[in-house]
Amino acid sequence: MSKLTTGSFSIEDLESVQITINNIVGAAKEVAKEVKGAEEELGPMGPTPFPTIATLRDWSFTLFDRYEPVYTPMCDQCCYCTFGPCNLEGNKRGACGIDMKGQAAREFFLRCLTGCACHSAHGRHLLNHIVDLFGGDMPINMGASNVIAPNIQLVTGRQPKTLGELKPIMEYVEEEVGQLLATVHAGQEAAAIDYDNKAMFAGVLDHVGMEVSDIAQVTALGFPKSDPEAPLVEVGMGTIDASKPVIIAIGHNVAGVTYIMDYMEDNGLTDKMEIGGLCCTAFDMTRYKREDRKAPYAKIVGTISKELKIVRSGIPDVIVLDEQCVRADLVMEGQKLKIPIIASNEKIMYGLDDRTNDDVDAIVEDLVTGKIPGCVMLDYEKLGELVPKVALKMAPIREAEGLSAIPTDDEMKALVSKCVECGECALACPEELGIPAAIAVAKGEDYSALEELHDLCVGCRRCEQVCNKEIPILSLIEKAAQKAIAEEKGFVRAGRGQVSDPEIRAEGLNLVMGTTPGVIAIIGCANYPAGSKDVYSIAEEFLNRNYIVAVSGCSAMDIGMYKDADGKTLYERYPGRFEKGNILNTGSCVSNAHISGTVHKVAAIFASRNLSGNLAEIADYAINRVGAVGLAWGAYSQKAAAIGTGCNMYGIPAVLGPHSGKYRRALIAKTYDDSKWELYDSRNGSKMAIPPSPEFLITTAETWQEACVMLAKNCIRVSDNSMGRSIKLTHWMELSEKYLGVLPEDLYKFVRNEADLPLAKREMLLKMLESERGWEIDWKKKKIISGPAIKFDVSAQPTNLKRLCKEA
Amino acid sequence: MVDTTKNTKLFTTYGVKTSKAISTEIAAKLISKAKKPLFVVGTGVLDPEVLDRAVKISKAKNIPIAATGSSMIGFVDKGVNAKYINLHALGFYLTDPNWPGLDGNGNYDTIILLGHKKYYINQVLSATKNFSDVKAISIDKSYIQNATMSFGNLSKADHIAALDEVIDLL
Repeated sequence: MSKLTTGSFSIEDLESVQITINNIVGAAKEVAKEVKGAEEELGPMGPTPFPTIATLRDWSFTLFDRYEPVYTPMCDQCCYCTFGPCNLEGNKRGACGIDMKGQAAREFFLRCLTGCACHSAHGRHLLNHIVDLFGGDMPINMGASNVIAPNIQLVTGRQPKTLGELKPIMEYVEEEVGQLLATVHAGQEAAAIDYDNKAMFAGVLDHVGMEVSDIAQVTALGFPKSDPEAPLVEVGMGTIDASKPVIIAIGHNVAGVTYIMDYMEDNGLTDKMEIGGLCCTAFDMTRYKREDRKAPYAKIVGTISKELKIVRSGIPDVIVLDEQCVRADLVMEGQKLKIPIIASNEKIMYGLDDRTNDDVDAIVEDLVTGKIPGCVMLDYEKLGELVPKVALKMAPIREAEGLSAIPTDDEMKALVSKCVECGECALACPEELGIPAAIAVAKGEDYSALEELHDLCVGCRRCEQVCNKEIPILSLIEKAAQKAIAEEKGFVRAGRGQVSDPEIRAEGLNLVMGTTPGVIAIIGCANYPAGSKDVYSIAEEFLNRNYIVAVSGCSAMDIGMYKDADGKTLYERYPGRFEKGNILNTGSCVSNAHISGTVHKVAAIFASRNLSGNLAEIADYAINRVGAVGLAWGAYSQKAAAIGTGCNMYGIPAVLGPHSGKYRRALIAKTYDDSKWELYDSRNGSKMAIPPSPEFLITTAETWQEACVMLAKNCIRVSDNSMGRSIKLTHWMELSEKYLGVLPEDLYKFVRNEADLPLAKREMLLKMLESERGWEIDWKKKKIISGPAIKFDVSAQPTNLKRLCKEA
Repeated sequence: MVDTTKNTKLFTTYGVKTSKAISTEIAAKLISKAKKPLFVVGTGVLDPEVLDRAVKISKAKNIPIAATGSSMIGFVDKGVNAKYINLHALGFYLTDPNWPGLDGNGNYDTIILLGHKKYYINQVLSATKNFSDVKAISIDKSYIQNATMSFGNLSKADHIAALDEVIDLL
């Protein structure tokens, strides 16, 4: 269809072309009508619909001006092309001319792009599959919302109404992913800061791709729709009933598994066999057909750190893989215990025979007899029948043989006695666990030290790979922790999906004024520095302080593994609305788009800002007014890098665990450079001094205790009113005293007047400000006369964007 | 004397240049000679045996402490000049010649490292190694390959003994 509405043009040498003038005019009118209709519904189009690499560069550079890229290269060499390897140490340039900063930025960008491609390819697969099943005209249904696709609307300017309308969105993402990937080639981009801009853009696309994924599955697969009371799901290795045939699904794409669940339901098998999962497929299994709040029968085993442990337990009778976050050695590990592996996605086929076109019973026979270790099955109808049949047949065979990699008592004694305590395992362990010392204790048949390693161990198997005595160390740990594993039973709320518009209307004011102290979004993977209880401890700390705690993915699972003295998990103790003092689980990894989308919605619904194609303005609003901070405490995957970086572009800061320094790049502001802590007041374009918060867009913390202090501090925003600021300062001070033993040194930078100070400590703090900072205090009125570097003006309109100022 | 130069096995590969393994004597000399040193101490210092040595080292040469992670709680009321700072931010600020430092008097020429997770400190030091002239001396239990100079991988007993030697030599 022509996009022309006016103008003249000529066509030469077209002898046999018929031109129907009315149709062109009609088309033009149609376009104009379409645009007008969209504007009436979505507001006027912002300046950046369907952005490409350069479109949002000004905004990312605005962010980089304060939040400078900090490079911590994982490797000082570049091995990309045959000119190299080049030593870039000391920021030297390589044979192609790229320097260390450029290479580090490229590496980080590539991680973000990989993560974006994973979510987007997942989204494309789900979308095609669901449109094939239900048709492109199926209306999108995300619950009680008019803003049903905030990321899509913000980035593209479109508001899809049907599943079919998501297809052009995916096409856009795919085109941009291709353009971005091309820049990794030698001799393309060179400047570090431009790779940083590209990383930010990849992050933005990631949230669009994630949103497409979850919209498609929430709409069509009967998932809870903006439901704060989504059902509770059993979580933990101990929840699986090993006496039944057991199916274990691993990955992130629930499409194929739904057929297995349908087959189980159609054949009355749901109570005769177990189906459990790891990683995000597990979450989505528990959301499938659960919009009516029926208790899920699918169970969540846990995160990627439990993958090898559940395999070695011998519990699974068949394992189904889909995509992402799947260990690459599962075929080898499964084969040792006669656990067939069925790969159901063409992105990971693991060298297995493709039996998609074969008869199901013939495949069952080959798997059960051990003729093949597993197979690829891309036909979901067949997959649905194949997997339960294999489990039912394998279970008695495997039970008879007592297959498990967990050593017997005698084997355990023999294995620990082989250890010469050379220390290689401890050097290789990414968690720096004291494995040799624990084995030394075990030589006296005391397995308590090994048991303690169970929760700290990420199940990576690096210890075994370096062991000169070939001791299966992971299996020793699992043997020692059998009792603890059996008791690993908790609850997590099934993913509720999006935050609804009414919830935003009810909470938006509190959040922007600061009287709700903040949103702490605990997301990401399980590569924790000191075990999974840390995420529980952080969530509990902030729930007790009335923050909104939003969770998703593997962290959400681990939070549900721990209970209070009454045996209740946080999901049982706290409600699930978007409201202070609530914990809301949006769902699997792709549901992270709902967390960023919630922040966009605050701007759109509470503040009536126009979302459509208006990224910089909305992100500017978020960073100045919405006290939300992300925490990806165990971020390990490339997807986590993409999610966090997308949040950064949207004005949402993120704290990561210490392992995430290996992502190679952070965005940190210089708190000591006052010139960086100024904004415009859009009422007149004047400069206004602001407090140094957030002081980073993405960085790492060393311990969960430090993370708590950082999270509370970085929820502070320019727009907090005095009551909000005093609430936020109270929590920050209390957490600093609790976990660091001292009041924050830079507290004074956040105080605008006496009303900002917590009432209970006001006098003490005024004395401190007088004596340490030389501020003038009127002690009769207990008022600050002079001293603060920042002023309080409740009607100020802070912005980083000069174009938004009236006199610009 | 504890042989602190043994077992410098790499944890992973950062590049062609790795830190030089040093004895307790060299470590003490480097600390003593530093014009403006900063003692960067991580949360591992909360082990009472290590904390005791950290306080002694700081007091011996009046070296200010940058208490990273949640180590600050260990230095309250210990009579040392300790301030909390996030390690990642510190690594970045050290690469900025204009950083006023924790005392407002300017950046540091030498950092002394103790009480860190090796994967985390190595990552932070990859910034100072590549983008600054700051000298990093690790007296930690693990070999820190991105430091300028470091002890090797030591047992806990050897490490405590080595710290005592350093204290005696300061």
